[in-house]
Amino acid sequence: MRAESLAVLPHDGLPLWVGLTFAGIAVAGWASAALAFRRRSIPQLVIPEYPASGLSLSLPDAPLPIEFFPGSVLLLDRLGAVLQANEEAVTQFGDSVGAILRHPAARSALSAALRAEPEGADDLPPVCSTTFTLDVPVPRTLHLSLRGIPAPQERHKRVLVVLSDRSEAQVLDRMRLDFVAHASHELRTPLASLSGFIDALRTGGSTMDEGTRQQFLDIMGQQSARLKRLIDRLLYLSRVQAHEHQRPRDVVDVADLMAIVLGEVAPRFDEDGCTLNLALEDDLIIKADEDEMVQVLLNLIENALKYGRERGRDFSVTLFARRAPERDDRWPEDGGILLGVEDNGRGMEAYHLPRLTERFYRVVDNVEPAQQGTGLGLSIVRHILDRHGGRLRVASAPGRGTTCLVWLPPVSVVQPEMV
Amino acid sequence: MADRSHIVKSYEQELGQLRSMMSQMGGIVENQVALALSAIADRNEEAADAAARQDPDVDGLERDVESLAIRLLALRSPMASDLREIVAALKITGDLERIGDYASSIARRSLRIRGSDGQISLSGLRSMGRLVQDNLRRSIDAITQQDSNRAMEVWHADRAVDEYYTALFRELVTYMMEDPRNIRACTELLFIAKNLERIGDHATNIAERVFYAVTGDNLPAVRPRGGPAAAENAAEPADR
Repeated sequence: MRAESLAVLPHDGLPLWVGLTFAGIAVAGWASAALAFRRRSIPQLVIPEYPASGLSLSLPDAPLPIEFFPGSVLLLDRLGAVLQANEEAVTQFGDSVGAILRHPAARSALSAALRAEPEGADDLPPVCSTTFTLDVPVPRTLHLSLRGIPAPQERHKRVLVVLSDRSEAQVLDRMRLDFVAHASHELRTPLASLSGFIDALRTGGSTMDEGTRQQFLDIMGQQSARLKRLIDRLLYLSRVQAHEHQRPRDVVDVADLMAIVLGEVAPRFDEDGCTLNLALEDDLIIKADEDEMVQVLLNLIENALKYGRERGRDFSVTLFARRAPERDDRWPEDGGILLGVEDNGRGMEAYHLPRLTERFYRVVDNVEPAQQGTGLGLSIVRHILDRHGGRLRVASAPGRGTTCLVWLPPVSVVQPEMV
Repeated sequence: MADRSHIVKSYEQELGQLRSMMSQMGGIVENQVALALSAIADRNEEAADAAARQDPDVDGLERDVESLAIRLLALRSPMASDLREIVAALKITGDLERIGDYASSIARRSLRIRGSDGQISLSGLRSMGRLVQDNLRRSIDAITQQDSNRAMEVWHADRAVDEYYTALFRELVTYMMEDPRNIRACTELLFIAKNLERIGDHATNIAERVFYAVTGDNLPAVRPRGGPAAAENAAEPADR
């Protein structure tokens, strides 16, 4: 769409007060629009209603038909407040539009776009653009192009913004750096042990008795299995990270999800003194990538078995899924679905809790070396949940078990139309 | 949310102006914190300078917000939620300004740990930084959207920041005991961690003020606290 077609539109001769009244309605609409919007699960933006037909778009405050634009588009007022946002902008950037627009680089681009005058009478105002990176909630590189829309009065000036995500390249770079930094350290440990035993076998292998040699080979087998596990997990983590910015769109029935998870973990609960319970509410649906959510639950159950279980004590794990309470301040929105894994095992000190999702962080004093995990499980969980717009909370105290709660945003009953 | 349209058009515009300046100030402060963290984590000296350079802008905005708020109070006699919003803005700018100061202090300290931190792992500090940044982002979102739910979320998440601080404290003390040559760098890092923790506290202050401005109710005076006393309570894993 050429910007001309937005700026130069036929004037149908409505007097100015219509525009002003409309502005009043738009402001009054704030409250109701905000409410309506919450129901659609993204509380950040306020989208005024589309104008009643017949209103001329050349009125200073009339909305523009940005829904039709193939890309993420926002319409801002002179002060940088969002007047309109199209569906694409909401799905792509809903969570961070505020943070994007108040970034100093975006602010200076906005004032540049407001100041910029067209060169000739028939020209369009020039485009101002900027690129910057935000660290939270997920590291993201953004590109903004802005163009002012001329208006007879300064205070009616508005600015059209096209947002695009340029993270892909940067994420790849960062992933490579991270991989080298962490992985080299983690991979070296089993590798050192492997090469030590190889040396021992090579120099003293012929004089060694069969038992010792077998023992050496067993340790080497364990270590190489650990290496393989580590590499597999790292690769999985980087795959999850690579599409962290694409929200999943499939609707998944939680009962189906639980059936898959149970099928996978049931054999591990065959031993005595080890039980798995399931508590499931009916008719729960989530918007999720099924494979990834299975991974999340498998990882949590795996952790419970690995770190919670004490020999000689009855151990039970409860897998549950229920609706989140209507008003619960711990989660970003009302409603939503809670999935969780609860055990009655060892538990851990509170100071571990905030660091659990760090890569390679392990609660060291809790586990026998032979069982030691990769330290990547919860990191994977966190990245998957970031992608789903979910949250993870872990509650634990020594001797009192651990509860991992996964919150997922509610699925709006009416699917928004895709433009 | 109450009906926010006002008969006097320019009053509405002045309120809009106030919100816009608050969001601008929030943006600069967020950026300062991001730059300061990048100064530590990526050893980025340019970022350290840039963080400190933005201080005057923040101070200037603080003064502007103050005079606009006083003007609004004096000339428009605002009522109810408007009144609370304007008074909250006066106090929130103070919090934001302090956050900016802490960020530039972190940036300056980052220049002093150059070269001496090869064997100290910064990943804990980095994750704590991410958590604090996320809380700050949400509290500024709460200001600009006047959203009490967001404010509550920040208020609850501060406990995780406190726990992080405790964990980092232990870790850094261990480094110092291992090798006295680490003491210099670790002391700086301790101050940096403390400053981050303070930034988290100010973000919580902001959340409390927003909650009051929106609802008219005060949050409990006792905050959810981290550390051993709260061991039985939940904490949100950080690094998000």
